[in-house]
Amino acid sequence: MKKSHIVLLVLVAAAVGVIVSMFGDFSTYETFASISKQPGKSFHVIGYLQKDKGMIYDPQTDPNHFTFYAKDKAGTVNKVIFNGSKPTDIEKSEQIVMKGYNDANGVFHCSGIQMKCPSKYKKDMAVGDNS
Amino acid sequence: MIKTIPDILNTTQFIGEHLLPGQLGQFCVITAFICALFSAYSYYKAVRTENRAIGESASWVTLGRSGFILHAISIFGIFYFLYYIIAGHLFEYHYAWEHSSLTLPTKYLLSCFWEGQQGSFMLWAFWHCVLGIIVMRTAGVLETRVMAIIAMVQACIASMLLGLYFGPDLQIGTTPFMLLRNAMQGAPIFATPNYMSFIHDGNGLNPLLQNYWMVIHPPILFLGFSSTLIPFSFAISALWKNDYTTWVKPAVISSLFAGAVLGTGIMMGGAWAYESLNFGGYWAWDPVENASLVPWLTLVAALHTLVVYKATKRSLLVTFILLMITYCLVWYSTFLTRTGILGKTSVHAFTGDGKSLTYHLVAVIGLLLILCIGLLIKRWKEIPRIKTEEATISREFWMFIGSFILLLSAIQITITTSIPVWSPLAKLITGKEVAPPVNPLQHYDSIQVWVAIIIGLLSASVLYMRFKKSDGKLVAKRLGITGSIALVLALLIGFGQKINAWQYDLMLYAACFGIVANIYYACFVQKLQLKKLGPAIAHLGFAIVLMGILLSSFNKHVISYNTLGINLMFNKPTAEENAKENFENVILYRNIPVAMGEYFATYMGDSTSTSDPRTFYKVDYVRIDSITNKVEESFTLYPDAFVNPKGNMGLISNPSTKHYWNRDIFTYVSSVIDPGKRTDTSKFQSHIMHKGDTVFLNNSYLVFNGFNTQVNDPRYTAKAGDIAVSAQLTLYDIKGFVKTMQPLYYIRDRYESRIDDTLTSKYLYTRFSRIIPEKGAAEIMIRQADPNTDWVVLKAIVFPFINVLWLGVIIMVLGFLLSMIRQITKKERKPTDDFPGVV
Repeated sequence: MKKSHIVLLVLVAAAVGVIVSMFGDFSTYETFASISKQPGKSFHVIGYLQKDKGMIYDPQTDPNHFTFYAKDKAGTVNKVIFNGSKPTDIEKSEQIVMKGYNDANGVFHCSGIQMKCPSKYKKDMAVGDNS
Repeated sequence: MIKTIPDILNTTQFIGEHLLPGQLGQFCVITAFICALFSAYSYYKAVRTENRAIGESASWVTLGRSGFILHAISIFGIFYFLYYIIAGHLFEYHYAWEHSSLTLPTKYLLSCFWEGQQGSFMLWAFWHCVLGIIVMRTAGVLETRVMAIIAMVQACIASMLLGLYFGPDLQIGTTPFMLLRNAMQGAPIFATPNYMSFIHDGNGLNPLLQNYWMVIHPPILFLGFSSTLIPFSFAISALWKNDYTTWVKPAVISSLFAGAVLGTGIMMGGAWAYESLNFGGYWAWDPVENASLVPWLTLVAALHTLVVYKATKRSLLVTFILLMITYCLVWYSTFLTRTGILGKTSVHAFTGDGKSLTYHLVAVIGLLLILCIGLLIKRWKEIPRIKTEEATISREFWMFIGSFILLLSAIQITITTSIPVWSPLAKLITGKEVAPPVNPLQHYDSIQVWVAIIIGLLSASVLYMRFKKSDGKLVAKRLGITGSIALVLALLIGFGQKINAWQYDLMLYAACFGIVANIYYACFVQKLQLKKLGPAIAHLGFAIVLMGILLSSFNKHVISYNTLGINLMFNKPTAEENAKENFENVILYRNIPVAMGEYFATYMGDSTSTSDPRTFYKVDYVRIDSITNKVEESFTLYPDAFVNPKGNMGLISNPSTKHYWNRDIFTYVSSVIDPGKRTDTSKFQSHIMHKGDTVFLNNSYLVFNGFNTQVNDPRYTAKAGDIAVSAQLTLYDIKGFVKTMQPLYYIRDRYESRIDDTLTSKYLYTRFSRIIPEKGAAEIMIRQADPNTDWVVLKAIVFPFINVLWLGVIIMVLGFLLSMIRQITKKERKPTDDFPGVV
């Protein structure tokens, strides 16, 4: 066997090891109900902002505290606390992807929010001012 | 929504439309597609007939060339007509309406091209045309095959612009010349023939894209993507012709060019994100960034095995495979970024253009894969291989290992980035929908740091070895010297910069080794002969890039904490802890200084101008020596934002950065008060004050030091018979003494008068209302406008040594270009047969 083949085999074995271990890093998309079984562990939750329940962001009290309610795909509504400033345009989001964990009280602590907004330009279909 | 091509069946006569530029543009689209197909076919026929009578093949070549030139003219024509439509504000066209507006500055008109999907395909096609014409003139015997491939790819790209519709969901391509009324069929406005008189302005360009980076970054990046086609086409033509010599030189040159340009494009994207977006850095392992990095990694790997092949005739098969992977990955990255499949994982989140584009791109990738795999199978047995083993101390052995590591790195990044692509499959098997890592930075960093270490060490040492056979003792001696110097350097930097995680200490050592070894090699082995320095300079640049990444990321820290603290990006084991630490925004009330790191930051107010849609927020930074209270340094940053852009609620914020040679202070506004809510409702309040009394105010306090009858106030002119007294009030804030305030009270002609003293920077109004002689006190009226009426929420991050990163990128690109010039100008040695063992 060639020396280079041996080195390659070792590298491939290492790479396979890394890739397998990498899967442990991957998160899953869950619902509020499913993550509450594992409080403290982070997951992704896809949901929708519940505007009617209101949201609180008062930077004069705490610029890193934003609270809102989100409904997940299963229909559960949960309180969400995000330690950061209120993301721009969250009111307009049609879907939000939240990264975070549930605490023992069932409050979702969010470390990252990604919003899916309707394309800013396609939404307002009424053109011009002919109303 | 049913779409049709701009059709003549439409019976309504519309008023005020300019249909001609669109029709000419659409004509160019169709011509470009047909000419590309024609050129590809002609070149193909030229290849098939090259062994027959001389005239036949030559005339096919002429046809192929003419077809390609016509194709190029048509592509330029598409550009011209679309530019004409955008610059002329012809909003009857969907593209102009969607991406531009009347108020858009001329310099951003080009950005409108790139904002839309078709624009980026056009840009791609444009560069292919330019490169294709150069290849056509220089490729010699390989012209027919290379150009057949290029023309075929061009036909694929042109088909993306065709805009042929076969029903509601089935279309081939999307034309940039679609009329608004066709794009939005059914909207009631288009029922009126004079609808144009209602459309006054376009939607305008996304504010995020309105900066100069967006003008220059896409053309460079797409030139980089486009130039990967050239080495790929040469590789395919070598297999096709079964000739493995002639393709090498042009492939090396074009790979070097592609490596330089794509590298520049990627880092320009980083610089753009860093300078103008508030992602908080230059690199976030975002899927869109990864999609451009991965082809660069495999391209650099291919370049190295290609050089190995050129010198030793080894690694040919691997080179072919790497070049093929590179080009297929370029299309795959288009697939990832343009079809919306990344939707919920990328901040860039391009919206998809429907299923048609997905199928279209899958078809193109499929075509490329069939071509690549088919040719490899066909030539599998004919591809020359060397049976003997390479020496352990040889350049080719370690270059091959390095290329393989780069490939593994690319595979890792691709697997994680492609989670949205393969997660439906995983869901079938496991029932769980796989999501990207909760902390992607940590995920990628913890794996790729090993790639950085190995590649760093290899790029330091590989040049000391020679191809085939090296003098082991000499190599060991030189590496020993440079390795020891690097160790000292690494220890100094490691302690100085407090790099206290062992993996990153290894990476630091690899970077130091790369810097020292390549400088030593350039100076003492190559004796600074500029034309030979390309590889050493590129490797040096790479090592400096590693150093810059390490220093800027490892000690990157947020200074806008509510409480002071250090945030190490790398070392938080869980996202939860990161979340806890992420109290990174601080509120700044106007004119009230807040301690931030070693600075006091003060928000001084905002400003707008009529010529610029942005609002600028003035933030003063001062650094004060804590002992002497002397201002050691002061500067002002103007982070800006689009507030409520286009009548929408919200904020699109751009950072402002103070650059030092050794660090950057990066500041952006994350929230502002709604301008409509600023009102001053404060009232004067009475305070009876004795000498020495203190009144506490917002973030400051006022001490009454007694009366002063020696009034010396420029606002007051003494008159005979006046009784004038001022109250001596001293104002202190967090930094100490601010000002002595002297409101004045006087009696003239038996009437009381007062002159207030105000301090606008603190919104403070003081009035000496009356003297209370029996108590020896004064009634002081104080009004302080509520500073809460104006504030910003700010985030500030310090990036140490980020300039090292930019410097490294420039040096690396220079190294690539220097190597390329060397390859172009170097006289080829006669091919020799001294490669024993060639089968």
